[in-house]
Amino acid sequence: MIADIARDLKIDTATTLSQASAGCQLRIRQLEGKACKRLREIGFCEEMEISKLSDGRNMICSVCGTRMALSRKLGDQVLVEMV
Amino acid sequence: METIALVGNPNSGKTTLFNALTGANQKTGNYAGVTVSRVSGVLRTPHGNQYELLDLPGCYSLSPNSPDERITRDVLLGNQEGAECPEVVVCVVDASNLERHLYFVFQVIDLGLPVVLALNKVDLAEKQGIRINIELLSEELGVPVVPCQANKGKGVIDIKHAIRHPFPHQSSRTWSADKAVEKAIIKLIEQLKSDGVSAPEAQAIHLLADSAYRTESQPGVDGGMQKQAIDIADTLIRSGLAPEESISKARTRKVQEICQVAARRQDAGTLTLSDRIDQFLLHPFFGWVIFVVLMLMVFWTIFRVAEYPMGWVDSGVGALSDWVSGMMSEGDVRSLVVDGIIAGVGSVVIFLPQILMLLFFIGLMETTGYMSRAAFLMDNIMSKVGLSGKAFLPLLSSYACAIPGIMATRTMDSAKQRLLTIMIAPWMSCTARLPVYALLIGMLLAGQGALVQALVLAGLYLLGTVTAFIAAWLLAPRVKGSEEVAHFMMELPAYAVPDLKYIVRHLLERAWSFLYKAGTVILGICILLWALQTYPKPKEGTPAAEDASLALEQSYMGQIGHAIEPVVKPLGYDWRTGTALVAAFAAREVFNSSLAISYSVDEEEFEEDDDFLAQLRAQMAAATWPDGRPVYTPLTTLSLLVFFVYALQCLPTTAVVRRETGSWKWALGQLGAMSVFAWLAAFLVFQIGSLLL
Repeated sequence: MIADIARDLKIDTATTLSQASAGCQLRIRQLEGKACKRLREIGFCEEMEISKLSDGRNMICSVCGTRMALSRKLGDQVLVEMV
Repeated sequence: METIALVGNPNSGKTTLFNALTGANQKTGNYAGVTVSRVSGVLRTPHGNQYELLDLPGCYSLSPNSPDERITRDVLLGNQEGAECPEVVVCVVDASNLERHLYFVFQVIDLGLPVVLALNKVDLAEKQGIRINIELLSEELGVPVVPCQANKGKGVIDIKHAIRHPFPHQSSRTWSADKAVEKAIIKLIEQLKSDGVSAPEAQAIHLLADSAYRTESQPGVDGGMQKQAIDIADTLIRSGLAPEESISKARTRKVQEICQVAARRQDAGTLTLSDRIDQFLLHPFFGWVIFVVLMLMVFWTIFRVAEYPMGWVDSGVGALSDWVSGMMSEGDVRSLVVDGIIAGVGSVVIFLPQILMLLFFIGLMETTGYMSRAAFLMDNIMSKVGLSGKAFLPLLSSYACAIPGIMATRTMDSAKQRLLTIMIAPWMSCTARLPVYALLIGMLLAGQGALVQALVLAGLYLLGTVTAFIAAWLLAPRVKGSEEVAHFMMELPAYAVPDLKYIVRHLLERAWSFLYKAGTVILGICILLWALQTYPKPKEGTPAAEDASLALEQSYMGQIGHAIEPVVKPLGYDWRTGTALVAAFAAREVFNSSLAISYSVDEEEFEEDDDFLAQLRAQMAAATWPDGRPVYTPLTTLSLLVFFVYALQCLPTTAVVRRETGSWKWALGQLGAMSVFAWLAAFLVFQIGSLLL
C-alpha cells in the first residue's frame, strides 16, 4: 500500500515539459503521444536528464549537451519530473 | 569497386570526414541537413586498395520522416534501385553527443553489415568533460571504434586502416526486447529466410520496428514480405504489445546502459558558452534586433567594401577595351570584340566581388551555427503563414541560388510544407539578380551613400521574401496534403569558429564557376546579341548608314525589339530594355550584357576616361524616347527592379522543380505564374507611380 501511495505521489509530481518552468533540471519519466518514437530518436528518452533553457512558442532544452528547439505540441508529449 | 557508406545523425560530421577521406570539397556546414543527396567519391587506402565511398544524408533514425532520410534507409537496406547494398558501413558519431547518436548506431548494427564506428569531434567531448572508454564502447557494441577529429584530419588514417581488407566481421544486435517481440522477430526471420529474402534478419527487425515500412507500399520492398510482417505485428498488437514501441524502448535502454559504463558526463547542467550566446541571439526581442542589424551590415558591406575590388575589375575591363580598340583597325571584328564580348561579359564580371561578398556571409552563417538560430527566430513569423521555421533553411540557401535551396527542401518532413517551400523559393533573390540590382540601384541612387543603397537592396530582398510568405499563405489551402502542421523540432548546434580555409576554398570554387558561366553561356549569348544588333548592315547611301541608332533600329534586334515593345511599353520600357528582359530568360545577368551591347553604339558621346560601369550608366541615363523624354526615369528603374524581384528567369530552376515535385504541372505553373505576376507588379508600379508623380 505504501508503495502504491509512493507511485501516485511520483505521478503527481510529473508535469509536461511544456508546463515546466525555464531553468529547471528535469528527468523524463514517460513519453505519451504520436510523436514519441520520433522524440526518442532525437534523444528524448525515458530516464534522460534534460534542462529546459527557455520557454515560448518553441522551447529550448539541453539534452546531453545539445540544444534542441521543440514546439509546445511536442513538449506536451513529454512527462518530466524535477530532479 | 566495393562500396563503403558513411552514415550518422545530422551534423555529426559525415561530409567533413568524407572530404578528409577522399580529398573532395563537398559542401559542409554547422547545421543539420547540409547533405540531401547521395554523393560518392573514391577512397584510397594506405595499401593501395580503392573503394567507392558514399556520403549519405544524415538521419536520426532509419524510419524516415523526410525524403533525404529515405535515401539513406533505402541504400542501407539494399532497396535503392541501381545501387548495391554497401559492403561496409562507417557510422559517424558526435562524441560530445554519444547518448543521442547511439540510437541510430543500434539501428545500423541491426542491419548485420560490417560496421566501423567513427567517433568524431573527440576534442569537443573532452572539452565538455565527457570521458569515453573506447575499448569498453567497442566491446559493448561489438564493432571497432575509431576516435577521430575529421575537421583537423586527425584519426583519418586510423579509419582507413579499420576499413581495409579483410573487412570487420558482420555486426549483430546487442539489445533484446520483450519475450513476445523476440519470438515474433525469430518467427519472421524464419519465414523470410524460407521465402529467399536477402538479409532476412535486417528486414525482419526493420519491418517490426517501423510500422510505416511494413504498411505503406514502397518501391523495392516486396509486398509479400510486408503481408507476413503485418500478420505477426497484428498478433502482437492484439495482445497489447506494440512491436515498434517495445523495440524502440529496448534500444534506448541499451543506449543508457552503455553510456553509464563507457561515457561518463561530468558537470551536466552548467550553462555552456553556446547557451550564454543563445540567451542573447534567441532573445524574443534582442534576438530580432541582432538579426536585423546583422543583415543590414551584410548589405552595407556588399556596397561599401565591394566597391574597391569592383573598381579594380572595372578599370581592368576599361583598360582592356581601350587596348583592344587601339590594337585593332576599325571594322566588324573590332566591334565584335569590344562592343560585343568585352562590354557584354565585362558588364557581368564587374559584379563578381559583390556576389562573393554575399556568399562569404552566407558561408559564415552556415559554418558558425547561426543558420539554425535564424530559422528558430523565423519560425514565429513563418508559422503565421502556415510554414514551419524549418523551411527557412532552404529559403536562406535560395539567396545564394534557388537550385540548392530547392534540393535542401528534402530535409522537410511534411510533403505539403515541402511543396509550398519549393513554390516560393525562387522569390528569394539569388546572386544572379545581384548584378542587375547593383546596376539599376547605382542608376537610381547615383550620388547617394552606400547606406542608402544598402537599404534599398535590403528592401528588394525583403520584398521578395514577404511576397513569398503571402503567396505561401494563399497557396496553402490549394496544396493537397495533411493539414496537421509538422511540429517544429530542430537541433541548435554548438557555435563553432568559422572555418575560413573552407569558406575561401568554397568561394574560389563559386568564383570559378561564375567566371566559367561568363566565359561560356554569357559569352555565347553576347556574341549572338551583337550579331543581332549589327546585321543586316544598312546599305551604303541610306540615312541609316550615317546614323548608328537608326541602323540599330533596322537590325534584327531592332525588329525583334519593336515586336516586343507593345508588351513592355506599359511597364515603361523601350524596345532595348524589352529585348534585354527577354534575353535575361537565358540567364538573368545577360540583362546587363544586352544593355551594354545595345548602348555601345552611342559610345562616342562620352568621355573616354570614364569608368566602364559609369559609362554604361551614363549611356542608359541619356537614352531617350523618340519625343525626347528620358527612358530611365526613377520610376522605370523601380519598375525594372520589381520585375527582376518576381520574374522566374531561370530555366534550370524549372527543371529542378519538375524533378523534385515530380510534376510538370507545378513547374510550368510556377514559371507562368511568376512571369505574369512580375509583369503585373512592374505594370502597377509604373502606372500608379506615373499617376502620383
